[in-house]
Amino acid sequence: MSKRKFIVAAGIVLSSALAFSACTPPTPGGGGGANTTPTAVNVAWNQAFFSLNDETDYGNATTNANIIYLANERIAYYDKDLKLAQNPSFGKYEKVSDEPLVVKYTFADTATWSDGTPVTAADAFLLWAAKSGVYNTTELEQDKTGDVGEVDAANVFFNGSDPGLQLVTDVPVISEDGKSITLTYSKPFVDWEILAADPVGVPAHIVGKKALGIDDNAQAAKALVDAFVNKDNAALSKISNTFNKAFNFKSMPEDKELLVGSGPYAITGLVEGQYTVLERNAHYKGSHKPSIDKVTVRVIPDAQASVTALENTEVLVTQPQSTADILTQLDNLQNVQVLTQTGGTYEHVDLVFANGGPFDPAKYGGDADKALKVRQAFLHTVPRQKIIDTIIKPLNPTAAIRNTFTAVPGSPRYEPMVAANGMNTTFAGGDNIDQAKALLAEAGVEAPTVRVKYASDNTRRQQQFQLIKESAEAAGFKIEDAGSINWGQELSQPDLYDASLFGWQSTSTGVSEAAANYITGGQNNYGRYSNAEVDRLFAELAVSIDPAQQKRLLEEAEQHLVADAFGVTIYQFPEITGISSKIKGVSSIALSPNFFWNFWEWKVA
Amino acid sequence: MVRFIARRLALALGTLLVLSFLMYGLLEAALDPLIDLRENPAANRDEMIANRVRLLRLDLPWYQRYFSWLAGFVQGDFGLAWRTMQPVGTLARGAIATSVQLVFAATVIAILLGVTIGVISALRQYTAFDYTITFVSFLLYSLPIFWVAVLLKQFLAIGMNNFLNEPSINWPLLIGVAVVAGLFWAGALGGRRDKKLKVFAGAAVVTFGVLVGTLVSGWVLNPQIGIVGIGLLSVALAFGITALFAGLNNKRALYSALTTAAVGTFLWWPLQFLFYYVEMSWLWMLGLLAVALLVAAGIGWAFGGPDRAVSIRGTAIVALLTSVLIFADRVLQTWIPYFNAPEISGRPIATIGAHTPGLNADFWMSQLDRWTHLLLPTIALVLISFATYTRYQRGAMLEVLNQDYIRTARAKGLSERVVIVRHALRNALMPLASIVPVDFITLIGGAVITETIFSWAGMGRLFIDSLYGQEADPVMFYIMLTGALAMVANLVADFLYAVIDPRIRVDA
Repeated sequence: MSKRKFIVAAGIVLSSALAFSACTPPTPGGGGGANTTPTAVNVAWNQAFFSLNDETDYGNATTNANIIYLANERIAYYDKDLKLAQNPSFGKYEKVSDEPLVVKYTFADTATWSDGTPVTAADAFLLWAAKSGVYNTTELEQDKTGDVGEVDAANVFFNGSDPGLQLVTDVPVISEDGKSITLTYSKPFVDWEILAADPVGVPAHIVGKKALGIDDNAQAAKALVDAFVNKDNAALSKISNTFNKAFNFKSMPEDKELLVGSGPYAITGLVEGQYTVLERNAHYKGSHKPSIDKVTVRVIPDAQASVTALENTEVLVTQPQSTADILTQLDNLQNVQVLTQTGGTYEHVDLVFANGGPFDPAKYGGDADKALKVRQAFLHTVPRQKIIDTIIKPLNPTAAIRNTFTAVPGSPRYEPMVAANGMNTTFAGGDNIDQAKALLAEAGVEAPTVRVKYASDNTRRQQQFQLIKESAEAAGFKIEDAGSINWGQELSQPDLYDASLFGWQSTSTGVSEAAANYITGGQNNYGRYSNAEVDRLFAELAVSIDPAQQKRLLEEAEQHLVADAFGVTIYQFPEITGISSKIKGVSSIALSPNFFWNFWEWKVA
Repeated sequence: MVRFIARRLALALGTLLVLSFLMYGLLEAALDPLIDLRENPAANRDEMIANRVRLLRLDLPWYQRYFSWLAGFVQGDFGLAWRTMQPVGTLARGAIATSVQLVFAATVIAILLGVTIGVISALRQYTAFDYTITFVSFLLYSLPIFWVAVLLKQFLAIGMNNFLNEPSINWPLLIGVAVVAGLFWAGALGGRRDKKLKVFAGAAVVTFGVLVGTLVSGWVLNPQIGIVGIGLLSVALAFGITALFAGLNNKRALYSALTTAAVGTFLWWPLQFLFYYVEMSWLWMLGLLAVALLVAAGIGWAFGGPDRAVSIRGTAIVALLTSVLIFADRVLQTWIPYFNAPEISGRPIATIGAHTPGLNADFWMSQLDRWTHLLLPTIALVLISFATYTRYQRGAMLEVLNQDYIRTARAKGLSERVVIVRHALRNALMPLASIVPVDFITLIGGAVITETIFSWAGMGRLFIDSLYGQEADPVMFYIMLTGALAMVANLVADFLYAVIDPRIRVDA
């Protein structure tokens, strides 16, 4: 073929191709989003979802709790002021009697699982049966292959426990119509209301179907309850395995029935480590009908990346780990509202009472008064206001000193407690060098050495330690740096330190959690504090159901803690929420489920 | 040969065993699985601690746990990510796939780009171009990826998305880009001063014109290639590839390449119908590509001549590239619906994730979605890693160019193209055989920082999350996998070397 011929041929091919292209082949999506599109929002969370059953030890994580909160209803939830707000469209709870404590849950007719099955007492029964420990016949075994959590056919083990439900030792009574269940506590339980607020975990009929191989929903639930009532261990073993294991998945399970929930949204997409998609639940009849059709919770572990994603509107809400840099970046974004507020964890300094150290009367030949003065002197030096001004204010301009041991700031109990316990009037902003010197002089103790334990790999705690050290040394203390990476293990060895600086996390507004920190021999009482009167007050509190009585007892107990110079609380961890202007109605609370608490009120702007 | 393999494998296994023991011990010292429970004030904390101790058998001494872990591992049970109660095997499967997706394109591009620029840099040794490339590659090499990633997100993703919503032309930037392009081409093509000036002016004007054209015509708002674009590009590619591999004087090679380009362009039209009426998949794509390569080989063969192989190689490459163009064209046709989708809402360049959640996309649109998500991490990875290849290839090329046989080839009167492509480049590519397999196999290990910053759930993330989550088993799996792969890669590299370099034998 000659060159000319070739060029002619090529020309013909190309021009005919052009001509062909005139008779346009079908092209995709001419309209492009013309039809009404569903409303969708993306929000960010820093950890991936991994279990739809957060009632087990390992499923119990905020990242799961958020998704479960969207996909399941509860009788009461925390509102903006951390009060329990009722949701009668799901059910109600009532206290039938005080002595013994009897609580009755009744589910509304509108309470429905997303497969159309009504929510019944059997669902609450399952949660009780699993978390009361009544039916466990064995400790968790582990077989040779390393497959953990599977119990053999004759044994029953539910991997979850609850201090309240453990007190319900009698089998709860289910009503005729199956809509209500009555729990009788063997001992009064102060936080029964918090327990009653969320009475249902995974659906009983689904557990029954999967464990017992029954196809009919109603029969499955009934068979499940019967298995418990008759203590049929062969069946219970299967039920416990299903409860422990079936709901742990990180991507869409093959069996879609495991996704059944009772909430306004249902999980429709789940990609491991990346996101969870929730869409309107067609069977939802309750009153929390959301206005947004689709909510996607995207996993963004990196705080910086989540801020950029917010700027790029790939997510509309994010709650990154709070650092000053992140806050500055969020503040600089346009069309983004930044909420700075307090989170659920609080920082505090505790002293050790029984290690022969400077705060132990034993050091002064049993002179309790002397030890008390040294403790008070030390606590007076803790520069609480300075710590907040230098470390926390940059993150939360409205940050304030936390002045109670047992009440979450912002919750209804907080302000009255501050007024009553005397922490603020006694220690105020701290850094009170003169008073500390005077107390040390009074005690006649010179330059006591205090070993302070804290997380040495945590920058914020290092800074706090430095501030405390400066201040305490100005008052005449000798401060030894006992900071360690293994501080967590070492906390329970009070011989290694005299004062500790760390955080406690509040997971509810309940009062039953507090006792373990302050009673003699309490599991969180690392400093071996012991005061018979405080023990008595907490013992009484444990069986006091009347809120007024609880308030009085806690106030009295805290007064003792302050008077005994047990320690001081410093601040509530700051929490930053960035909210795009494309979404309205989002705010955050200090406790789980954080900014998800009012998701049904969210609106696309 | 067999003895060699056996010895190497035995050595590798022994190393892995020692590695696993040491790492298990180190992890034992570093991780504290009870750490989160210690701050938990719950009343049933002791029970929770007891449960966990039982679950992880923390009551046993660590070496005992090591041996039971080892026994499980060799039987294919990789243990449990206890925080989520997921078997490590299933976790790793998804994570490996994600990592490979993320790093594959970046590695290929980095190798191609790095090798090309390294070769050019060597050919222009000690010129301003060479020095600039050296400077830039060291600069890029020393950049921390998290910083590059943040810059890319800010300027490329957010900036680009803002631009797409409110297009405005940044003239100084365009002029700057045009000047840089002009300098690059002038430096790369080299030659005397007047030639350089011409190249500079030409390249700068063409770059500027193309940029302004795409911006003014609104092409960036709806990027399409179309049959015209495919036709022009494939003909240009046909010329370029022939010039490089056969020389434009080889008429048979040139005509066969041009024919392939024309056939490919023509086939665009019927393919549109196929793509419209039949739901496509990767299997289809590979099948069509195979057909294209066969047709191309046929064309090359038909043009015949004494060196058919040269023609066939040229047509195959042209067919491959034209197929890619047709593929890209079809993917870009979904741009407008993609852009307007509610999940995208006019901000197509993503900063996080591997794909848009809940996007209602067909095969083509999901490819586009993947590209918009791959764009930033790929650029970041290429920028960081291409320096290595550039430096490496420059060194290898220079060494070869100083060999006697190059002088001989020149003395024989061979054209400069033949000397460089056939005699120098071939030999200069040999050392790559020892680094490319390693780079490809370590892809599976993922990129810890990149994955975290761009929120990809790959192996790197699995590793770092497990480490933070105090989970020993997934971390051990990661270590064993990367360790084993590194050894396999080195073995493969040794073999590859023996295959391509006749001077090396592997019997010993």
